[in-house]
Amino acid sequence: MARLHTQPICVASALLVPLLSLAQPAWLTLSGVAPSWAVLWLLPWALVEGPVSGSIAGAALALVLDGLGGDALTLLPALTLLGWWFGRLGRRGRPIQRSLNLGLLAWIGAMVVGVSLWLQLRLVQGLDASVLQHWAWHLCLTQALITGLLAPMIVSWQLLVWRRRSPA
Amino acid sequence: MGSSQWPAGSRWRGARSLWPWLGLLAVLALVRWSKGAGFMDAYALLSRPFWPGSAQKEWLQSAATLENNAQLELLQQDNKRLRQLLELKQQSKEGQVAAAVISRNAAAWWQQLELGQGSAAGLAAGDAVIGPGGLIGRIQSVTPSTARVKLLTAPGSQIGVWVPRTRQHALLVGVGTARPQLRFIDKDIKARPGDLVSTSPASTLLPPNLPVAVIQTLDSRAVPAPEGVVQLIAAPEAIDWVQVQTR
Repeated sequence: MARLHTQPICVASALLVPLLSLAQPAWLTLSGVAPSWAVLWLLPWALVEGPVSGSIAGAALALVLDGLGGDALTLLPALTLLGWWFGRLGRRGRPIQRSLNLGLLAWIGAMVVGVSLWLQLRLVQGLDASVLQHWAWHLCLTQALITGLLAPMIVSWQLLVWRRRSPA
Repeated sequence: MGSSQWPAGSRWRGARSLWPWLGLLAVLALVRWSKGAGFMDAYALLSRPFWPGSAQKEWLQSAATLENNAQLELLQQDNKRLRQLLELKQQSKEGQVAAAVISRNAAAWWQQLELGQGSAAGLAAGDAVIGPGGLIGRIQSVTPSTARVKLLTAPGSQIGVWVPRTRQHALLVGVGTARPQLRFIDKDIKARPGDLVSTSPASTLLPPNLPVAVIQTLDSRAVPAPEGVVQLIAAPEAIDWVQVQTR
């Protein structure tokens, strides 16, 4: 079978990320905080496709999500880096498919995204009120937790489907 | 041995016949002391079936509402005339566009709403967005059919407000949480928790005298100027429809 990026249905599945980010289904949130849908999609994609495709997909997703988010914050560095790192992990050693591993990777991914946004708020926009720092950490940890909890279900299923469509 | 006018037996009988009267006197004294409490309670209990019904209560309430509305209209007319004299911006329902909230990100890094109306309906960046209760944010960008609202709670959001009771200006700064910070400009503040925060009556960017929040806590010793925490009157996370005040 062809690589994932040559299969339109697999590429089109990325459209679910901005759609879910806009829709924010309330039943998939933790105290009102939604998971990082970008990480949940990027993780299996990069694990199957490798670092180059992963970083390109991460950058593409970041551009779309930055457009939806507005303001001066960007997801570009975090998602590009994550795409590369997840891709490298997928190319090394035995395939990653255990629920705990996937959950942990998604948790780390969401934390990287959160910390990158928090640093931008603090360093670029100069917002350093203590209340804001508490809010940022709370948001970062909650988003990482819900992303890590959903990953074993969502990412495992995506990996199963995509590995069938694109066997190594 | 001397004899009394009343035989001994009849004296005791007389004293015994006085006891009921003394008892009655004591009861009456109790009634006096309790200011007729027992009588009032008994009267209330007996007359309860004949109390004015809910219909009369509703008549009174509707009359009071009518009176309030009439007074409000008169005051609004008066306010409009005075603002015209002072050449200040008018506060009116004209130019308000109703828009549905089609997406909300109240608990995310970008705290914003997406509205189902855009530039085709006359919306433009900077327009004030009003929810039930007061101001919730300003329009950040528009497309022909949608508009993005930056909420007052979003980190970095800043608008000028004032406390009507003390007539002091302040800056409302979003810090991500549901309760933005209020940074006063004056060092000597007279505001206190519970005071209303509204847009300035002389505001040109936002509709004047629009309720925004209620002060929850104040730190008068903060440097460089006192600051506080406010609770927004309109809760963005629970609003499905908003009004946009076009300019």
